[in-house]
Amino acid sequence: MSGLFRKKNSLYLSDNQPLTVVGMIGLVVSYVILLSWVVAILWPLSQMIMSAFNGKQAQYLMSNRNFAFSWKHFQFLFSETLYLRWVLNTLFIAGSTAILTLLIVSFTGFAYSRFRFKGRKASLMAIMLIQTIPAFAGITAYFTMHSIIQNYAPWVTRQLMLILIYSGGGIAGNTFVLKGYIDSISTELDDAARIDGCSNMQVYRLIIMPIAKPMLAIIALWSFIGPFMDYMLPAILLNRPQDYTLASGLFTLMNDFRTMNQPAFAAGGLLTAVPIVALFMVLQKQLVSGLAKGAVKG
Amino acid sequence: MKVSLRNIGKKYEGREEFTLKDINLDIEDKDFCVILGPSGCGKTTLLRMIAGLNSITEGDLLFGEKRMNKVPSKDRDIAMVFQSYALYPHMTVYDNMAFSLAMRKEPKKLIHDRVMEAAEVLQIQEYLYSKPSDISGGQRQRVALGRAMVRKPAVFLMDEPLSNLDAKLREHMRVELVRLHKALGTTSIYVTHDQVEAMTMATKIVLMNEGVIQQAGIPDDFYNRPANIFVARFIGSPTMNIIHGSMDKGKFVAEHKLIKIKPSEADAKKLKDFEGKKVSVGIRPERFDSRGEYGDTFKAIVDTVEMLGKEKILYIKLENGSELVVSAPGHYEFKEGADHSFGFDLEAIHYFDSETGLRIN
Repeated sequence: MSGLFRKKNSLYLSDNQPLTVVGMIGLVVSYVILLSWVVAILWPLSQMIMSAFNGKQAQYLMSNRNFAFSWKHFQFLFSETLYLRWVLNTLFIAGSTAILTLLIVSFTGFAYSRFRFKGRKASLMAIMLIQTIPAFAGITAYFTMHSIIQNYAPWVTRQLMLILIYSGGGIAGNTFVLKGYIDSISTELDDAARIDGCSNMQVYRLIIMPIAKPMLAIIALWSFIGPFMDYMLPAILLNRPQDYTLASGLFTLMNDFRTMNQPAFAAGGLLTAVPIVALFMVLQKQLVSGLAKGAVKG
Repeated sequence: MKVSLRNIGKKYEGREEFTLKDINLDIEDKDFCVILGPSGCGKTTLLRMIAGLNSITEGDLLFGEKRMNKVPSKDRDIAMVFQSYALYPHMTVYDNMAFSLAMRKEPKKLIHDRVMEAAEVLQIQEYLYSKPSDISGGQRQRVALGRAMVRKPAVFLMDEPLSNLDAKLREHMRVELVRLHKALGTTSIYVTHDQVEAMTMATKIVLMNEGVIQQAGIPDDFYNRPANIFVARFIGSPTMNIIHGSMDKGKFVAEHKLIKIKPSEADAKKLKDFEGKKVSVGIRPERFDSRGEYGDTFKAIVDTVEMLGKEKILYIKLENGSELVVSAPGHYEFKEGADHSFGFDLEAIHYFDSETGLRIN
């Protein structure tokens, strides 16, 4: 009878077994590790944000307790450097890379998943192998190719070259990912669409692509973020400051004492996150289901 | 529309053997033809060839008088219901049904009318604007049917459309499909591995095994006059009893000598040529007679009794341990382990040539 009158909050509702002493210690250790991880990530970030808005900071970043809110580093960024130009360059390169990658990968992924042709297996294996070689390894080849191409087509700028390298590098791996995703879509849908009157191209456009949207969103995001993160290729390939991407441009505020302005670098880095966050928010709905399914599909 | 298959054969790329060979079949206008067979017998391949989803390696496929071998699926005037329903997940139910007509660039008004008409027949008006993922399996099934109906096709193809439904709903949809078939007045071709669906729905059954048509005809023939041992064993539940033996002085004698049957006069005439040869006898479980009025009887022990309500299934054992299955009305009393005498209904005995498996009488 006493059970009936027991207070509600004394009921043990968890499906897990009650913790033992060892379990308790383990839990504490886990939390300590996780918390230090959080600090390791958030501390530099918070320093960056503080410095970006700290009017008391001069050319070099110093950790001191003086703080005065000001926009002056941002003002410096927009008036004294080519920051806006770099943003546009990066958006152009990242956007073009994403679109080009998406277009080609959607075709190759569809073809590898749905058609049987000679050399299908062999070329898939080749794609797997190519994936393991970093794009940077071909840097000398890129230089040579670029100088040859520019003899015939002077309009192929170094930025265009960069776009081709990025999207070319992305096609291999993403084809694999998308093929796996499309493989999971029943071919009975293709059959039904064919009977309903679709050509191959219409099956691709009206049936498969809309269903593969979550995975396409992830591929778009990955290829878009790539150029934001990469420093090496633009630093080597691009030789004029007005061609620089954000990564290579902002780096000039760090490594060259003539142009050194570390708080401005922090401010620029902070602003860089804006377009990526914006894209992430737009694609959020697609991304969640895409990531979940991608996790199962590998 | 009449569908005719002439010497149709199919060989898949990269395979040594033909999957189907020399398939000859006529499906009359307004027939409900069920293609039946165990898995891997080539029935789905045959349907996909009729649909134009698989190429035809050899032979001719005729719709009416027109040869369809090279005609693309969309121009064959067919509609197909798939096992997985194959509804487009990113479109609403309405768009799913309207899709084929929209692809044909039909006027919006006509599309709307057709979709509404089909929706009314199938009673799916309430969720026309839901996505397929938001509705139940039975409802999806109806949408798949509706999508095929709006086309008003001449030939209606169905690939195991009921296999994903639960037993009750399947029973209900069987009746509804037949009703729909009659109302639409189309030729329907239906693929299944379920003999109950075949027996209840078909006006014509085609039973296939290992890429060969074993028998084609009306359901009644399949049960009462199976063309060979395979058909005899495939149709009917519990399975028909097959007893191997030989003819000896006008009488059938089983291998274990425990069963002897004197054929009826009509059967005796046909069995004349088989004197001394190996013959197999087939008898349906419900055609034994436990009162032994029919002359030749045999003794057996009732081993296990399965009570199904309207009938009892008896697993009986002969002296040498060989087993037979007998079905008796549910209100008869049988004790497990009891001795019983069983006789045969001579009119219901099927004789097969043991060598070829073909029917004799």
